[in-house]
Amino acid sequence: MASDRPVREAENRLERFNEDRERLLSEVERRVVAKKLAQAQSGGDASLEYVLNDVAYCEIRRLEAAKQDSAIERWRELSRRLLAMTEADKEDELRSLVRHYGKDVVGNFDPRVYRFATGVAPSLLGFVFSPVGSLREGMQAMRSLDARIHADGELDVVRTCAERGTLIVTPTHSSNMDSPAIGLGLLRAGLPPTTYGAGKNLFTNPFISFFMRNLGAYRVDRRLKFELYKDVLKEYSTVLLEHGYHSLFFPGGTRCRSNIVEKNLKLGLLGTTVTAYKNSVREGAPHKRLYIVPVTINYRLVLEAETLIDDYLAETGKSRYIITDDEFSRIGRILEFFRKILAHEGSVVVRFGRPLDPFGNDITDDGESLDRQGRAVDPASFVRGADGEVTDDDQRDAEYTRALGRRLAAAYPRLTVFHATHLVARAVYDAVTRQVGTRDIYRLIRMPPQQLSVAAEGVVEHLTRFRARLAAGPAWGAEHPMLADQPAGTIVDDAIRGLSSYHTRPTVSRAGDVLRVDDVKLLYYYQNRTAHVPPEAS
Amino acid sequence: MTARRDTVGIVGAGRFGSALGSVLARAGRRVVLWSRDAAIVEAIRTARRSPRLPAALLPEPLEVTGDPRRLASEARFLVLAVTSTDVRDRARELGDVLDGSHIVVHAIGALAAPSSERVSQVMEQGLPTLKIGAIAGPALPDDLAEGKYSSIVVASAFDEVTSEARRLLNAPPVLRVYGSRDLIGVELASALSGAYTVALGLSDELGVAAGTRAVLITRALAEASRLGVAAGAEARTFAGLAGLGNLLVRASDRSADYELGRRLAGGAAPAAVTDAARTEGARAALAGVELAGQLKVRMPVLQGLAAVLTGRLEPRQVANLIGDSVAESE
Repeated sequence: MASDRPVREAENRLERFNEDRERLLSEVERRVVAKKLAQAQSGGDASLEYVLNDVAYCEIRRLEAAKQDSAIERWRELSRRLLAMTEADKEDELRSLVRHYGKDVVGNFDPRVYRFATGVAPSLLGFVFSPVGSLREGMQAMRSLDARIHADGELDVVRTCAERGTLIVTPTHSSNMDSPAIGLGLLRAGLPPTTYGAGKNLFTNPFISFFMRNLGAYRVDRRLKFELYKDVLKEYSTVLLEHGYHSLFFPGGTRCRSNIVEKNLKLGLLGTTVTAYKNSVREGAPHKRLYIVPVTINYRLVLEAETLIDDYLAETGKSRYIITDDEFSRIGRILEFFRKILAHEGSVVVRFGRPLDPFGNDITDDGESLDRQGRAVDPASFVRGADGEVTDDDQRDAEYTRALGRRLAAAYPRLTVFHATHLVARAVYDAVTRQVGTRDIYRLIRMPPQQLSVAAEGVVEHLTRFRARLAAGPAWGAEHPMLADQPAGTIVDDAIRGLSSYHTRPTVSRAGDVLRVDDVKLLYYYQNRTAHVPPEAS
Repeated sequence: MTARRDTVGIVGAGRFGSALGSVLARAGRRVVLWSRDAAIVEAIRTARRSPRLPAALLPEPLEVTGDPRRLASEARFLVLAVTSTDVRDRARELGDVLDGSHIVVHAIGALAAPSSERVSQVMEQGLPTLKIGAIAGPALPDDLAEGKYSSIVVASAFDEVTSEARRLLNAPPVLRVYGSRDLIGVELASALSGAYTVALGLSDELGVAAGTRAVLITRALAEASRLGVAAGAEARTFAGLAGLGNLLVRASDRSADYELGRRLAGGAAPAAVTDAARTEGARAALAGVELAGQLKVRMPVLQGLAAVLTGRLEPRQVANLIGDSVAESE
């Protein structure tokens, strides 16, 4: 049984962030400049001329595409000056650029905003957005917001790790609402807030941007493709971890378009975990442990489901990496999300898994690393050479990160929580596909609606069998705790209510004893959460 | 004393371990050989020869021990040279004394009996280190012991493993080591070449024509490549040292796999090929068929061989069946 003990000591870490910020930035600047100067010794593509030219070229291309002509001249001018610059001039320019991008990335933490966001705001949101009919109901809604975001899992061991070392929280990524959801999930779990990298495009929403800017989020501009920017970003993340700032990465990279539990992780900044730990070992502090916490964020309904699945199934086969015009950009849809989804008790479940060390090893309850046989292993040994010296090897570290990614991907299915919407979408999908003889979504999309109607009774049978399989296979995940005592028929009714009322078009609706699939793409999206559970043998 | 970084540890004083130790020691490399068998340890200490491979002289830079802790503390780079039936137990035992800094490559040309897992997968479970690799190729213990030119390939996802293996195991003019990142391919190619060696011994004893023999070899490699690609390997690895190289050398020599094939064709009752009598190649054939089933890959040559090994078909029946199972494309 998890205790309610909050991690007070760890909670304070971000409060010192603003005092630390200049020191952190200076450290990033020092390291990136030193690295680039060292690499420049080998000449060629690593020379400062190439590094600076790469920045100028990429910035000019980006600004031309965005038609921001006024900002281009600064880069054209740099490009023209490059050939005449001395090495000292180039070093000055490099330093200036590193500082410029460092400032662009760096976050802010305002304790007042944090207290508002975690104390007053949820209650306020609960009051404003709940469908209440009286003051008494409103007060009830305020008290019950806690119940809407439910946090559970291996909370005790995660709390221990938060006190002993630094957490790297690595959730699945379904929605732009994930950042506030995981933030509230951490709070509900009695865990400290984390800093995290958020796509710069998210900062265009003024409401969300205000909170993100002041709650430790740093900006990741995915339009900046040049190496220098990536170096600044990675070094910033590394320095944050070394200084003990709990961090959050979405190892899936971008929001999962299909809603399938993520398997192929992009890893991204997760690689800075090994680097940060290696640096600590080199500094004589192998006890400064880092713990990677697998987390799933499980929504009853997903704000951007329609856009995401459309993008996934786009016939061009070329999904967009950055989507800027989805439901998240429309304040009305966000309000709708609060009103219709968060009003539902337990509508978001944040489930925390058992932490891993940076090399994907399991840990004891006290945070000590264990190998696959459960034997104690010294994590520092993974970055040491034959004589105990700390060795640098980027390829090795990337391979360690891939191994960690495989462990995370293996952990997610077991941590998945199935809402009624997922279970019933799966049952309907199973019933429909058995009826029409194919599970191919592209064929289903082209079928006439009458072929996509199934008997409600049959869906209840599919659901009953599916629940029994889940109960026998915990490695696939588990149904929402609140569904445990509910009969299949009740779960079907509950899911149909959700699936037919929130999105702009209903997903499934009931017509007497028949369930009609109105939007097979959305049905596919919600059933995809169960896609790692193989179909029943016929 | 030679630095730990320059010492090679060898786990197992069998034929390959002893031969490799002999080549490396003759090239001046410090080698620590670990055997669990006290009699072998004593024999090597006193006679400088392993009872498993008496032809191999084990000169002074080779030391022998029965203490795995000594092995782990004196060598960071280890070669696991035990049989596929022992690999689970040895990996677990070795794991008690290793840490995350060690590098371990195996020299086991089979899948990890009794399952169809690759040996490196079993090592990942048993060892604390992630720096794991495999060596394979046409290097027969007798040839190594006699100082004849041989080559092997080392494969690992970690460049450090490959580069260290090449630095420590290269012993020209006798042994040259090539590198690869295709660990899955090298392991499967090596294991399956043992299986096909049994098939070649069988067909040679049946007296098949040279053209038929060539068809058998090429079809075997083609189906092995298909399995490899389905498992995540690169097809070209099967035409390299671990695949074709291994197959050619084993089939032209007196390897245990080849001899088993000949005995099968010569009338040795299939039922006589019990677990104990199975060679690494025979075990690889059975495990490979299981893996092919999991990955849904069609492998008529391997399936035919497995049928003979388990007594379900006579050798001549298999030859006909394989010939009849012509696919549309090669």
